[in-house]
Amino acid sequence: MKRKRVFNGLTLVRVLIYLFFALFLILPLLSVFLVSFTGQPVNLLGSITDPAILSSTIEKFKGASLDAYQSIITSKGYFNSLVNSLKLAITVAVLVIIICVPIAYGIARTSMPFKKTISALCTIPLIVPTFISAYAFILMFGRSGWVTAIYEKLGGEGMLIDPYSMAGIVIVQVFFFFPYALWPMVAAFKVSDITLEEASLNLGAKNWFTFAFVTFPLALPGIISSALLIFTVSFSDFGTPIILAPKELNLLVVEAYREIAGFYNWGGAAILTVVMVLVAAFFFWLQTLLTKGRNYGSVSGKPKIQRLNNHSGLRRILSGYSFLIVLVPFLAMVSIVIQSFATTWGKDFLPSGYTLKHYQTIFTSSMGNIQNSLILAFGALVLSVVIATFVSYFVVRQKATKLDFVTNIPLIVPGIAFGIALIQTFNTAPLQLTGTALLLIIAYTIRRLPYMIRSTMGTMRAIKQDIEEAAINLGATPLTAAITIIGPLMLPGIAAGSLLVFITVIKETSISILIAPAEWAPMSLAIFQNILRGEYYTAAAMSVILVILVLILQAVANRVSKND
Amino acid sequence: MGSVTVHQLNKEFSGIKALNNVNLEIEEGEFFALLGPSGCGKTTTMRCIAGFEEPTSGTIKIGKEKVNHIPPNKRNCGMVFQSYALFPHMNVFENVAYSLNIKQLNEKNVLAKMGVYARLLNRRLGRMPKDMERKVMEILEYMELDQYADRLTSELSGGQQQRVALGRALVMEPAVLLMDEPLSNLDQKLRHSMRNTIRRIQQDLGITTIFVTHDQEEAMSMADRVAVMNNGEVMQIGRPTDLYSHPSTSFIANFVGTSNSLQVNSTVQTGMYSLLKGDGFTLKTLHQSKENGTAIIRPESIQIHHADREMNAESMNILEGEILISTYLGSIVRYEVKVANHQLTVDATYASGESILKPGTKVKLAIDPERVLVI
Repeated sequence: MKRKRVFNGLTLVRVLIYLFFALFLILPLLSVFLVSFTGQPVNLLGSITDPAILSSTIEKFKGASLDAYQSIITSKGYFNSLVNSLKLAITVAVLVIIICVPIAYGIARTSMPFKKTISALCTIPLIVPTFISAYAFILMFGRSGWVTAIYEKLGGEGMLIDPYSMAGIVIVQVFFFFPYALWPMVAAFKVSDITLEEASLNLGAKNWFTFAFVTFPLALPGIISSALLIFTVSFSDFGTPIILAPKELNLLVVEAYREIAGFYNWGGAAILTVVMVLVAAFFFWLQTLLTKGRNYGSVSGKPKIQRLNNHSGLRRILSGYSFLIVLVPFLAMVSIVIQSFATTWGKDFLPSGYTLKHYQTIFTSSMGNIQNSLILAFGALVLSVVIATFVSYFVVRQKATKLDFVTNIPLIVPGIAFGIALIQTFNTAPLQLTGTALLLIIAYTIRRLPYMIRSTMGTMRAIKQDIEEAAINLGATPLTAAITIIGPLMLPGIAAGSLLVFITVIKETSISILIAPAEWAPMSLAIFQNILRGEYYTAAAMSVILVILVLILQAVANRVSKND
Repeated sequence: MGSVTVHQLNKEFSGIKALNNVNLEIEEGEFFALLGPSGCGKTTTMRCIAGFEEPTSGTIKIGKEKVNHIPPNKRNCGMVFQSYALFPHMNVFENVAYSLNIKQLNEKNVLAKMGVYARLLNRRLGRMPKDMERKVMEILEYMELDQYADRLTSELSGGQQQRVALGRALVMEPAVLLMDEPLSNLDQKLRHSMRNTIRRIQQDLGITTIFVTHDQEEAMSMADRVAVMNNGEVMQIGRPTDLYSHPSTSFIANFVGTSNSLQVNSTVQTGMYSLLKGDGFTLKTLHQSKENGTAIIRPESIQIHHADREMNAESMNILEGEILISTYLGSIVRYEVKVANHQLTVDATYASGESILKPGTKVKLAIDPERVLVI
């Protein structure tokens, strides 16, 4: 049975969306892949439009080799950076799981006090861009940090922990990434149901025994899946290493950034990018493999009856422990806030004086950055709304599984890798977009689309097919029905998703640092440059403004999705 | 307005036959019901007519025009959905006005088009032309919904929602009105009054109407003609009375009303009667009969009497049996009676004061040979 496809407005939109992804996602990734063989930039688009470029491209392909891949093994720098990155990600993943198990168990299965407060504090790390967390960590543990000051007063020597080290990076990532694992793990601990545990108790097992041999094994798949998630997040993170990694510590993301921003070494950057994508993709694949057929964290159906552990000693210990963990990110943020008001803050517990000068500086000289951030985020928001709405329509209604797959690709591409791919592809004619705000907006959009689409797809699924059929029956074309009926009904999902896009774009680090042109520098880039230049006080003030902006938007987003 | 012709319609869903050579000739202005159990293909047939399903083969004509290749939005079939499918973000007025706005969208220039889009997205962005507004209000008044024009559809009762759905379909002056189980979401009382409303409106407007239902009572009481469907095939088409008194198969006899089916093993012609012999019974019938058929007797065609009552076996069939169950249903009493190895359902009218026969009572059943059908 063949189905004739009628060419209408919707089909045109679909073609345009495919074109968009082909041009700005597939083509850049493909180019980087090719460059990793040729060692020189290839201009695929140019090869189509200009015969001269085509012949030079063919020349380059003739010179293609596996040299670059060999260099991963032979070149000490590259190999080390891969090993270091893997070490970092694995350490962080393992530590996060160890730290999270008690908190997750406490939230999921006990009636520990201050559960709500702890949950709320756990969201702090999520709203702070990692390079700000890294910087906050310096304020605490650095040579003139207040923790160091206390440490020395107590008789210690030097620094408690050197932030500019592998250990520093690990600690920052652990304390700022653990919430990503916490909620899936809470869900995992809720999987084991009461009847099984009571059966175990009934058979004479002690509480701890039940935990170790019933509750924990049942939660294990969820825990492993969280560990893989943390691995990918840590592996792709650019903000922490770029601030904290010392010169002698090679990490993939930093190495790739240096190759491109420092030496314009296309071949080197390309090979590092390919390696990054492959590693991230592999672990992402492992994670989906593990979660397939399970629905941890999905909010659906009736809540199962959970028996809450009421053991008073355990409750207190868990609660106290959880507070200790969430205290670290909290204090880090407090340090930033204090710094932003400080006249000077030397090696002491508190600054010597307070001032609003830094905010004044920002509002006189850096308003442009705030404006840029808002404009860029708004641009990405508009683009994401349009694309996500149509993509979810095509995926849900027309079963466009290929499109679903393509739009999820950005999940596995680390920001820095995607940035490198974009620069490489669009730095020459015929589509010279590197250095324009447009490319920046497109990059933000593609990176955040998977999250946006999840949100819109949910609402799309909730809209019954016959509502749309009714519109068509009343004379509307599929496109008109989509605009006048489906669109307005999807509004709550779109609103929630687009606020999320807006927030994450404002927080975005790697893409901003890599491809934002000077005249379009957003807040994150400005803060980054301030830190590099040693203007710590203005950096702190700008960070506070950024976090407040994110907080406000987050509150709005929560309000919107609650009204839904 | 128009007639609807469905010729040799076939539909397959991934290799499974949903419709098998369906033929329908629906006349202009007719109220036509598609009746059958769930999964029989009645809704698929309707969706093919509306254009939501593409037939695997066969032709569909509305009026004289073949519509197979006309997209659903250009077929001018007003459809009332089972769930009503009202637009939840629009009020009653806007729901009904939707098709008029769309019609304007197809006619006007680009600027006017933007205007229509704007007011479809937000009522504050523009007003409809006066004549269109009047037309919507007329329909709302006709449906007795005028005082609810500004309400959201979620604030209406089931019956009101049903009328909005109907009004929304009628305002576009469709060639054919399609209704997919429109009453199934209403409670019993409302269902009865909506039956009358729909029938009255259909008669008023003389609009060709196709009505899909699984409820035989609904089909029989509303439609001019009924097509009974089963397993993707049309079993019989006829007026309700024909279907009831002359079912062509025992499926229809059982689906349209209740009936007793008795397997016949041999038939003997004796004078004016045919003698039907089966397992433990012999029945006279006035109707044409064939070998190895099935005797069909409606429950209300059987009279029930005490076993000691003298009966004339000359002109009537007399069967002896014993009551198994008796159920009081208000105006009638339904008895399940064991006759030889069979169980017959008998409906007796009940007048107040009469006593109801108890289970275990020996009874005689009298059946008029005229009322014994053979198929």
